Amino acid sequence: MNIANRKYIIVLFILVIGVLYSLRLFYMQVIDDTWVLRAQEIAEKRKEILPPRAVIFDRNGLKIVSNKTYYNLMFIENNISRLDTIAFAKLLNWTPIQVRERFAEIKEGEGVYRNKSSGKKTPNYQKKRAYPFLKELSLEEITNIALHLDNFPGFYEEVTSMRSYPFSNGANILGYLNEATRKEIDKDRFYRPGSNIGRSGIERFYEKELRGRKGIRYVVTSAMNNPIESYANGKYDTIAKQAPGLKLGMDITLQAYGELLMQNKKGCIVAIEPESGEILAMISAPSFDPNLLVGRRNIGLNYPKLATDINKPLFPRPLQAEYPPGSIFKLVQSLIALQEGVITEDTGFPCNKSVVGCHNHPNASGVAQAVQYSCNPYFYAVVRKVIQQRKSKNTFTDAEIGLNLWHSYMNSFGLGKKLETDVSGQRPGLIPDSKYYDRIYGRHQWAFSTIRSISIGQGEIKLTPLQMANIAAIIANKGWYIEPHFVKSIGDSGPLPVYQKKNYTMVEAKNFSAVIEGMRRVVNEPGGTGSAARLKDIMVCGKTGTVQNSQGEDHSVFIAFAPMENPKIALAIFVENAGAGGTWAAPIASLIIEKYLLSKISDSDKEKRIIEATLSNFNKP
Amino acid sequence: MRKNDSLLSKLDWPLFISFMILVFLGLATVYSVAFNEENPSIFAFSEKYGKQIIWLGASFFVGLLIFLIDADYYSKIALPVYISVLVLLVIVLFMPPINGARAWLGVGSLGVQPAEFAKIATALLLSKYISELVVTFQTIKTVLTACLILFVPAFLIALQPDAGTLVVFSSFLFVMYREGLTFDPIILRILNTIPGIKFKSTWLGNHFIPVLFVFLFLCIITLVLSNVQFYLWGFPNNPLQGSTGVVLTLGSISLLLLLFIRRISSKRDRPRMILVIALGFVITASISLFVDKAFSGLAKHQRNRIELVLGLKEDPDGGDYNRNRAMAAVGSGGALGKGYMGASVSSIESNHVPESETDFIFCPFAEEWGFMGSIVLVATYLFMLLRIVFIAERQRAPFNRIYAYCVAMILFYHFAINIGMNIGFAPVIGIPLPFFSYGGSSILSFCIMVFILLKLDSQRIDVL
Repeated sequence: MNIANRKYIIVLFILVIGVLYSLRLFYMQVIDDTWVLRAQEIAEKRKEILPPRAVIFDRNGLKIVSNKTYYNLMFIENNISRLDTIAFAKLLNWTPIQVRERFAEIKEGEGVYRNKSSGKKTPNYQKKRAYPFLKELSLEEITNIALHLDNFPGFYEEVTSMRSYPFSNGANILGYLNEATRKEIDKDRFYRPGSNIGRSGIERFYEKELRGRKGIRYVVTSAMNNPIESYANGKYDTIAKQAPGLKLGMDITLQAYGELLMQNKKGCIVAIEPESGEILAMISAPSFDPNLLVGRRNIGLNYPKLATDINKPLFPRPLQAEYPPGSIFKLVQSLIALQEGVITEDTGFPCNKSVVGCHNHPNASGVAQAVQYSCNPYFYAVVRKVIQQRKSKNTFTDAEIGLNLWHSYMNSFGLGKKLETDVSGQRPGLIPDSKYYDRIYGRHQWAFSTIRSISIGQGEIKLTPLQMANIAAIIANKGWYIEPHFVKSIGDSGPLPVYQKKNYTMVEAKNFSAVIEGMRRVVNEPGGTGSAARLKDIMVCGKTGTVQNSQGEDHSVFIAFAPMENPKIALAIFVENAGAGGTWAAPIASLIIEKYLLSKISDSDKEKRIIEATLSNFNKP
Repeated sequence: MRKNDSLLSKLDWPLFISFMILVFLGLATVYSVAFNEENPSIFAFSEKYGKQIIWLGASFFVGLLIFLIDADYYSKIALPVYISVLVLLVIVLFMPPINGARAWLGVGSLGVQPAEFAKIATALLLSKYISELVVTFQTIKTVLTACLILFVPAFLIALQPDAGTLVVFSSFLFVMYREGLTFDPIILRILNTIPGIKFKSTWLGNHFIPVLFVFLFLCIITLVLSNVQFYLWGFPNNPLQGSTGVVLTLGSISLLLLLFIRRISSKRDRPRMILVIALGFVITASISLFVDKAFSGLAKHQRNRIELVLGLKEDPDGGDYNRNRAMAAVGSGGALGKGYMGASVSSIESNHVPESETDFIFCPFAEEWGFMGSIVLVATYLFMLLRIVFIAERQRAPFNRIYAYCVAMILFYHFAINIGMNIGFAPVIGIPLPFFSYGGSSILSFCIMVFILLKLDSQRIDVL
């Protein structure tokens, strides 16, 4: 070969390298995304920023749930280098063994992921991920540690916020937060190990509305894993956004007052604004300070105590306790009978004690009087007329038809079913229908006489206190109700559409006046059972109930609304094992009404007597 | 002699413009990487970009002087320059070491690296020696003398130690090859001792240098890729080993050559050519597989040593940290890049890629401009290199031609190794990317190299 031709070999070398490199660059930069991921892993960190949870206000704009700042001591194992365990333990006032155990605990706590197809198990714990070593430290606690953190690379402090309750009331309604479980984390990508989730009450029901929108920051981090600058000038960043505050219908002052009245007693108070269905107060007694269940440490300490307390403070009675309603049920019975036309306002029945027991009072000559005297035989006769309407010649078939009709009336009052309220964990109560008795006695084996105790709200009938209060609201509204609910407005968006719909009962408005008149007399006329609820400046309408029960003394019940014209508050009071409705529940109702409508208490002796009373069934610790 | 004002018309503009493009891109990249918010002016002389500008200014000033000196002069001063550089290379060995190497002369930021200038000196002397040979450049004596010119500075540089520049010195072997260097006499002497064989010349002996380099390149690629798994398009579940990839690539190149055989050889030569390609493939493939096998067959400590030399293992953590980070930076640039000053992996601040303003400056460039920028850079270098070869071939004076080839091959080496180590094709050897990397000595020496070439070329017609 001619030597001059050797230049082609050299040109070939240059070209081969050039083409080879171009192809390689094309592959690395355009086709293969391995390196993009690698770069993200190395230098472009995605940081999630949790906004503080939305604040909750009461109906007067008082802040009832807010946030307080705490600190977590975080670590990333990959960034830890040569940890001086002894010095670190000393900083925390721990022993080195405790430090090692804590690391082991975190790793184990993350669990193991099992690949379903291959069956391969991999631990969820990742060395490059951040985990909290210590949680929920106060400012003082973290300050002591943070001063020396420079000596322990891989550890850093992180700000978190936790709930704080300026009023120590409403624990059962508001609910509490707890760490999200592994399952919840897997289900919803919003949650990360250590993040909080609403565990009960409003916190749980409105979890999505309260948690807000996470912010995501992409930062460039250095080889020492320090953030240097935002990635691409923050082009892809999103800002953490706190959700708008929840405005409740609850009046925290009234709630607190109710809790005060109910101290050392078991039972509930539910107060509703009839026109809007907003729950003004919902007291479950005994209650507890919601601040007891803030944060992991507090929950760990206090939850077991509350859970094992014999008075069951964690049990949300207004929603879940199903009691026989007793005499307050007579109101609904009258309304059904009037609507069905089986009686008129002026129909009288003798007080025949041979049928069912009663106390001594004149014979009732009409519905209003019967309500006033709470005459058991009268309602026995009324309900018999509703159930046995002689629509069939066969008594048993007739009872079946009558009971199912009665049942559908009850349903229209929101009884025997869950109300569509915004707190989960509600119980439906029990209103028996024909199928229910068929199961007990067999089909066509029962008639009114078999099931007569339902007429005075005893026997199988069960209502929750929320449903009782709703009955009072229905009567106050003369025939309709809005689902009782807590949240008035999310931010400033106004009432939620769900809670603007009027639910009409099957009873027309014209049939309510006699019952309302009866309720007025219960409180305001001599011989009425609820005179303890009488107020000088406010016309209170109410009905007492004294519920017999197998577990001991009678429950004291009272439902009421006030004022008679244009009612502003409807309520139900239930005091367990306290005796007659007129003795305990009625005075409590009057105090609540007065407090809410006039913001003052005229009869301080009445108030004192209630507050100081400790009922016999209440177990003092 | 022609007048100076006609210099502009005789300047090789394509080379000069491609040179200026690279200088400009380099300065822009240094500015982006070393950017300091407190001193945003590019003339902030306390910052690296400011210093780079000073060095560029100095280079252009020296360039002006070079253009004033008559072209004849360069062959005359070759020997004194060479000897002065050797003296400097000796002196530098007595300087305090910086980063483990005695490479710096002077103090602080004003220091220079004589090794950078040794390349020019060697290029000049080698050009002078070979161009003045009366007899053929194929006797053992002349070959050894030429090699000695290379060997003395190379040896002194090895003592610093500076592996990168040492490797670059082997680029002169290509120049010698172009000038007719052959190892045939040696090969023949060995071969013909075997009874019954009496060759007059061998292909291997004639083309010993390129063959040697193909062999070395193959070995390095195979070793560098030995731990790498890759996937073929359409076969996401079947990882292939690095050596398999090399064999596949060789196979496809051979197939391509066979497809275009009509273009590359005359009809008469075709059977021989096909045989050469087939044999070439078989031999190279077996070398690659053999190296791979031999490597994995080595004892662990031996393997570690080789891996260390190749840069497969360099950081204390044990992985190939530098290359991994560099490739992450380059690869994450994507098609269009992250935008100027947008490098996240390879900025000095983030410090994931070490030496990102000097040896690894391709990283921030590729990260910020993506494939779009990379291909422009590679194309500009290719254009420049081919232009220099073209310039070399049009020279009448052998001195000019040989010197031009020296420049071409030095730049080619720097380009190939520097970009190669950023994309995982070459071991991590610390050598700068010409006109790009921050650093006074390298900027100055590369500029001088190119300016002398431009000067020689502008006066090519004067030579009789």
